[in-house]
Amino acid sequence: MSDTTRDSPAESALQARPPAIWTGYRTEIAILLAIIVLMLSVGAFVPQALSGGNFRNILQAAAPLIIMSLGVLLVVLTGGIDLSVGSVFSLTGMVVALAMDQGAGALGATALGLAVGLTFGAINGALVTLVGLAPFVVTLITYAVAGSLAFIVTNGRSMPIGAPDYWLINSGQIIPGLRNHILYCIVLMVLIEFALRKLVVGRWFYAVGTSAPAARLLGIPVQRTRFAAYVISGLLASFAGIVTVSYILNAEAMAGASLMLQAIAAVVIGGASLAGGTGSAIGAVLGALMITCIQNAVNLIGVNSFWQGSVTGMAILIAVLIDRFGKADRT
Amino acid sequence: MRDARATPLLAARDVQKSYGATHVLRGVDFTLRAGEIHALLGGNGAGKSTLIRILTGKIPRDAGEITTASHRRPGTDPVIAVVHQELALLPNLTVAENIGIVHGRRVFGLHSPARQAQIAFDALRVLDADLATRALHLPASGLSLHEAQIVEIARALSIGAEVLLLDEPTANLTAQETALFFGVLRKLVADQGIAIVFVSHRMKEIRQLCDRCTILRDGRSVVEDRSLSDLSDAEIVAQMGQSDRREPVAATRAQMSDQRDVVLAGPDGAEIALAAGTILGLAGAPTGPMALITALTGGARHPQWRITAEGMPSSFSSPGTAVKHGIGYISGDRAGKGVLADLPILDNVMAARRIRQGRHVIHAKELVDCAALVGSLKLKAASLHDLPRTLSGGNQQKLLVARWLGLPLRVLVLEEPTRGVDIGTKRDIYGLIRQMAATGAIVIWWSTENAELLELCDRIFAFDTQGRPAGDLSADRFTEEGIAERTGMAA
Repeated sequence: MSDTTRDSPAESALQARPPAIWTGYRTEIAILLAIIVLMLSVGAFVPQALSGGNFRNILQAAAPLIIMSLGVLLVVLTGGIDLSVGSVFSLTGMVVALAMDQGAGALGATALGLAVGLTFGAINGALVTLVGLAPFVVTLITYAVAGSLAFIVTNGRSMPIGAPDYWLINSGQIIPGLRNHILYCIVLMVLIEFALRKLVVGRWFYAVGTSAPAARLLGIPVQRTRFAAYVISGLLASFAGIVTVSYILNAEAMAGASLMLQAIAAVVIGGASLAGGTGSAIGAVLGALMITCIQNAVNLIGVNSFWQGSVTGMAILIAVLIDRFGKADRT
Repeated sequence: MRDARATPLLAARDVQKSYGATHVLRGVDFTLRAGEIHALLGGNGAGKSTLIRILTGKIPRDAGEITTASHRRPGTDPVIAVVHQELALLPNLTVAENIGIVHGRRVFGLHSPARQAQIAFDALRVLDADLATRALHLPASGLSLHEAQIVEIARALSIGAEVLLLDEPTANLTAQETALFFGVLRKLVADQGIAIVFVSHRMKEIRQLCDRCTILRDGRSVVEDRSLSDLSDAEIVAQMGQSDRREPVAATRAQMSDQRDVVLAGPDGAEIALAAGTILGLAGAPTGPMALITALTGGARHPQWRITAEGMPSSFSSPGTAVKHGIGYISGDRAGKGVLADLPILDNVMAARRIRQGRHVIHAKELVDCAALVGSLKLKAASLHDLPRTLSGGNQQKLLVARWLGLPLRVLVLEEPTRGVDIGTKRDIYGLIRQMAATGAIVIWWSTENAELLELCDRIFAFDTQGRPAGDLSADRFTEEGIAERTGMAA
């Protein structure tokens, strides 16, 4: 990789102005189009797919996955992986329900729930940065531990949420006309996208994922950036768990079992590379929406829902292939 | 038989290649005969690496003709092997396994460690009998760069390579290792009748080693298959389209001040006192200079050198603290510790600046600043949002320099910053380094190219072959011989 591509004899003038906004979001636009095409084609067979009610269903189902994927994205950007998010999600729900059952108020129970994510995120971060263990191994351990704790706290029983007002966390309207779960997704997406693009700290996540040794020599706090990624990922996984129990008003130990792989899939569909250094918050959100839409489509068409995994798998393959061929001329 | 030997092993006619709208090769002729060492010359971006990749079949050509003819097995294509700047040994496998692994053709055949060791030993013995007995069962990660290169060549020869393509093989070698390496290459060509293509920017080495040359310029072969003795250095440089303009040797050397702005104290009571604006060269085998460099840039766990300077601690706990105290560092490991290959040029150039200036939000104005920096380095890129992986090696090196350009630095540390960089770019980099020194930064420059140290530096501090400090070169010994004498390495 030297002396090749970029050396035309004439010195080309450098563009000082930023490129048009869509060139930076090509992957995201492609996913959005794919989602629209998918829903329109389903709508051709099942008209109710395009109803307002169905869109509300999709958004309700997608919200926890979106929130979780945004956390996983930060870890993946640094070149790591977080396998513990699904277990943290489940454990959080159990802890919230149990705390309320034991007489804690909604606020206290929620804080306790978030503390679960904070704790596991910090454990992941510390083991990866201070001890230097591989992220896959570390989060495999916390995945197993948090997963088993989710059963232990109630001895495996599912637990209803006693306070009916808890429902407001998910479905209340802080901004009238906009249900809270949608608000959370929008706020988090905008915040994280802005931080990744426009804050110096945000660029560190990319730099660490691209080359940690090079980033270190530039004075970038590599370990602190990594640590932060795991903590935020844990926190968002817990938050996703809280949003979910507040909707269902019931906590189950297996609630998050399928979410971990879906969150990683969402991030990858959204254009992130598991090698680190590429990806965007908008991409992760659209990836999560895509997965939810596929599930919705399979349900509506009436295909056996066991096919969902296969269709999602194909969507990942297509996304990765598009990404691969889009970049082929560069390598 | 004679006729057969006269047919070239490899002949390329009018080879062309484009990437998108960029014509990398516009018509290259190249001929290689058995028993010759052929220099492939050209500036950064002239198309050398692309040509090599086409010759080895790694990428297809758009147009042109390539004919090949093996001499050992007439009627077949000769085996062509490449040894890259970045070596391709598997670090966790032993030397024998690294060589043997290319012989395991039958997927379900039995693995025979004894046979593997025999193949590896036979291949290595031809090149370096001592290495063959000593290192056969050691992991490749423990080899020096020179040894690793020898192992790679042995691997190539063991599968019957008739053509060896060496892409800047001496860039990481010390003068002594280079001399050993050239001995091995000459023996190979003489004894086995193979052909070697040698890519290097170091004129002296090309003269020492090569018989014939081909010069590329802007994707064309402007000189094709000429004897090197027919061409003067000036002609070669002119054909590459570069001017070897030397700036007058820094006048500062005469008026060196005795100020002790930064004092470095090392092992064996060694002391280096530096005045602001000094360009200090480090000469000698890597161990000594690297100990100093890691201590100064916060990379050493147990630093061997202590720093005494106003407002600086005596050692840095991490590279981050070194950066905060005004130490800039350009690592010699460009691919591993230098460029952030998947991050836009903009982020690459601005990353350290953002930290130094304590910024939290990225201003739109950065684009203008960055364009100015990149422009002043004549770095060729279409857009600041391009990824560095699309840049040539020389342009990547300029990118690394751009990071520290114009920042208020106390010390700038550079490891082999002109490795793999053509003469024109070298001069550009020298000029920039002088500018930075003129603003009061102390420049510490480690290079294994002695001529470069002599041309650029105000002072040269030498280390012996064991890495022990051997002191400053006095004014009357400021010559290549003087450096060789002090460092114990070949000039």
